[in-house]
Amino acid sequence: MLKGKLKFVVAIVVIALAVSYLVYGGVKDTMVYYLTVKELHNRVPEVYDQKVRVSGTVVPGTIKHGHDGLLEFQLTDGAGTMDVAYNGIVPDIFKDDVEAVVEGVYTPASVFQADTLLAKCPTKYESTDDLYKQQNYEQGKAF
Amino acid sequence: MAETGQISIFLAFIVSIYVAFAAVYGARTYKRDFVRSAENGALAIFFLLLVAVLSLVYSLVNLDFSLKYVALNTSTDLPFIYRITSLWAGQAGSLLLWSFILSIYFALVVLQTRNKARGLMPYVIATLAVISIFFTFIIAFVENPFQKLPVVPQEGRGLNPILQNAYMAIHPVTLYLGYVGVSVPFAFGMGAMLSGKLGDEWIKYSRKWTLFAWTFLSVGLILGARWAYLELGWGGYWAWDPVENAAFMPWLAGTAFVHSVMIQEKKGMLKKWNMSLIIITFFLAIFGTFITRSGVISSVHSFAQSDIGPMFLGFIAFILLFSFGMFLYRIKDLESENRFDSILSRESAFIFNNLLFLGAAFAVFLGTIFPIMSEAVTGHKILVGSPYFNKVNVPIALVLIFLMGVGPLISWRKASKENLIKNFMAPVLVGIATAAVLIAIGIRDVYALASYSLCAFVAMTVFTEFFRGVRVRSRRGENPLMAFGRLVSRNKRRYGGYIVHIGVVLIVIGITSSSVFVTEQQATLSKGESVELRDYRFTYEGIDTYNTPAKDATVATLAAYKGGKPIGFMKPEKNVYKYEGNREINQETEVALRSTFKNDLYLILMNRGPNGSATFRIIINPMVSWIWAGGVVLLIGAIVTMWPGGRREREDVFVRYTVGEKDSTVKV
Repeated sequence: MLKGKLKFVVAIVVIALAVSYLVYGGVKDTMVYYLTVKELHNRVPEVYDQKVRVSGTVVPGTIKHGHDGLLEFQLTDGAGTMDVAYNGIVPDIFKDDVEAVVEGVYTPASVFQADTLLAKCPTKYESTDDLYKQQNYEQGKAF
Repeated sequence: MAETGQISIFLAFIVSIYVAFAAVYGARTYKRDFVRSAENGALAIFFLLLVAVLSLVYSLVNLDFSLKYVALNTSTDLPFIYRITSLWAGQAGSLLLWSFILSIYFALVVLQTRNKARGLMPYVIATLAVISIFFTFIIAFVENPFQKLPVVPQEGRGLNPILQNAYMAIHPVTLYLGYVGVSVPFAFGMGAMLSGKLGDEWIKYSRKWTLFAWTFLSVGLILGARWAYLELGWGGYWAWDPVENAAFMPWLAGTAFVHSVMIQEKKGMLKKWNMSLIIITFFLAIFGTFITRSGVISSVHSFAQSDIGPMFLGFIAFILLFSFGMFLYRIKDLESENRFDSILSRESAFIFNNLLFLGAAFAVFLGTIFPIMSEAVTGHKILVGSPYFNKVNVPIALVLIFLMGVGPLISWRKASKENLIKNFMAPVLVGIATAAVLIAIGIRDVYALASYSLCAFVAMTVFTEFFRGVRVRSRRGENPLMAFGRLVSRNKRRYGGYIVHIGVVLIVIGITSSSVFVTEQQATLSKGESVELRDYRFTYEGIDTYNTPAKDATVATLAAYKGGKPIGFMKPEKNVYKYEGNREINQETEVALRSTFKNDLYLILMNRGPNGSATFRIIINPMVSWIWAGGVVLLIGAIVTMWPGGRREREDVFVRYTVGEKDSTVKV
């Protein structure tokens, strides 16, 4: 009985260790810093060869769709701005003023080479402010 | 109409409070009338929330823009059906739906069980009422779907076009049925602890609800994956986004629970474990709702930032403290009636299955909250992305698939050598043969080889089970088809479970193939140019635009060839929805998809260039359809297990399994 119980304990410990090892290894190999644009600038130059994730808002008017699907735009967090180059699938909600998240490497040429681009619905999504914008404009009266 | 809804929600909140107190008071003082009254109160909550839902639907359909919720989620050009589905497009509506679904479960549980488990039921009712208090409080006072706007706008913002999709219409409801359904077994578990009736009663009466919730969680996850695949246009179906994880974690814990309750029913073991598991599962379901509804963890899907976060955290803390407190209080009464005999037994296969499912749930949980944790500990926000989740979960999943084959065939208590050889010889050989064939045809990816061979192993064990059962019956003179039908219908739980396993095998094969062997290419083409990928060729025929009242569409046409033979035209679109200025999101990429059981051709129109040129991304995704087919099989299996009746008329058929003494016969 005791031997049987010991076997179980050993088996459970092995499973727990294996899962912990997987988690530890997974975190170690895949973790990326999540920075704002300003934090990224503060980390130059050691940030150059690191994969990082940066979030910010797309600066209006800076989106350029190049040939061959290349996309260039600027990302800002209010305190800093950076150029982003990306080639890949652009989310439908990506546009001026939207909150975007890019993952990739910041290069010494001061361009962020992104290999992932995510866009978030604006946080004001549940705000009602712009419900009135259009009609105020149409009606020409201050609100 | 809105006022009616408003009042109904408020009354539902008040009645929930009353029900919680009346049920406990009635049970404590043995006043049956109070328990009866609490039971009727549960039905009243259902009717009140039904009225609230109907009145919100009425306002949505009739575009009553004086309501904030309606103005934010609909517009005059929104088709009728999507006006209804905007009920769950926003925060307040979703929470109303949550409460409403809870009240449906609540009412059904009361109607079904009130005369059966009289000692248990008052506390089950009280638990469900407390959950109902929390959610009705939120919709009544914090996120009220009937909140008015100070000035009525002329036009609503409209529904996000990516939500205007049949899958998005049903996926949230399905998932909610799963999420909320977990409350029922949790309430029974709490009922058992509060009433002190810690036998198997709580498991017996909640079993079907558990399976029901589990089924809807599974189907909801698959529908969500399908929606993402069709609508988000990046070629994948799962991204380990916090919102996806939010639904996946309760599924993992729930799957562990669905399996471990069998051990308690059959052997009277694992009582503590089951109780903890259902608490964890319910915690993860509420935590999932919290993640999706609070915007605490940044996600691509994040619905809304809102101040209900702290309330949810408070509620979660309350649930955990209270239920684990009760657990410690009752721990002495949760002793096992049996002990484990051997590590080579069905009991231990189930234990390992449970540990791994829980390990996976823990890993996903950790990965999901990692940004918050690392920020709290180190001051830096650190994330782990999909590579982390894949790295951790793929090995766990492979071992789980192995156990899925072992569990049903290994004997209870202690497997003898003869049992192992007799039952596992054929499946192991099939697994090895599969690996050999795959290596011979040139597959070298270790994960793919492991996954396919294990799937073959599992499929063979299931086949063996069916084959043996049918053989025994047909030897008694039934024709094989009838024998098969009777076998399943007399033992729905067991064989339904096997069918679910086959569904899982199909899903795993689909996931393995599409993640290991996917090929993609991006190409900018001028009219008449072609691009080749594998044995497919795509010739760009031209680009066109058309307009409908709702959108301006740009559609490209490509002729697809396979091995030189034309297989049809593919037309990826990029649409711009009208009502600019009102909508936050007006673009939508409509992928062109040609799906067979062998391959999915997935074409995305990325960009329209000068002189009629265009940039495409072409993805060949092998065997994605197996995932959806597997989902259907899983659903069928789950329906079989839940199908009513059969248990009483069950006849005992015995099959000789081994030559060993102990487990010489097993019921079929």
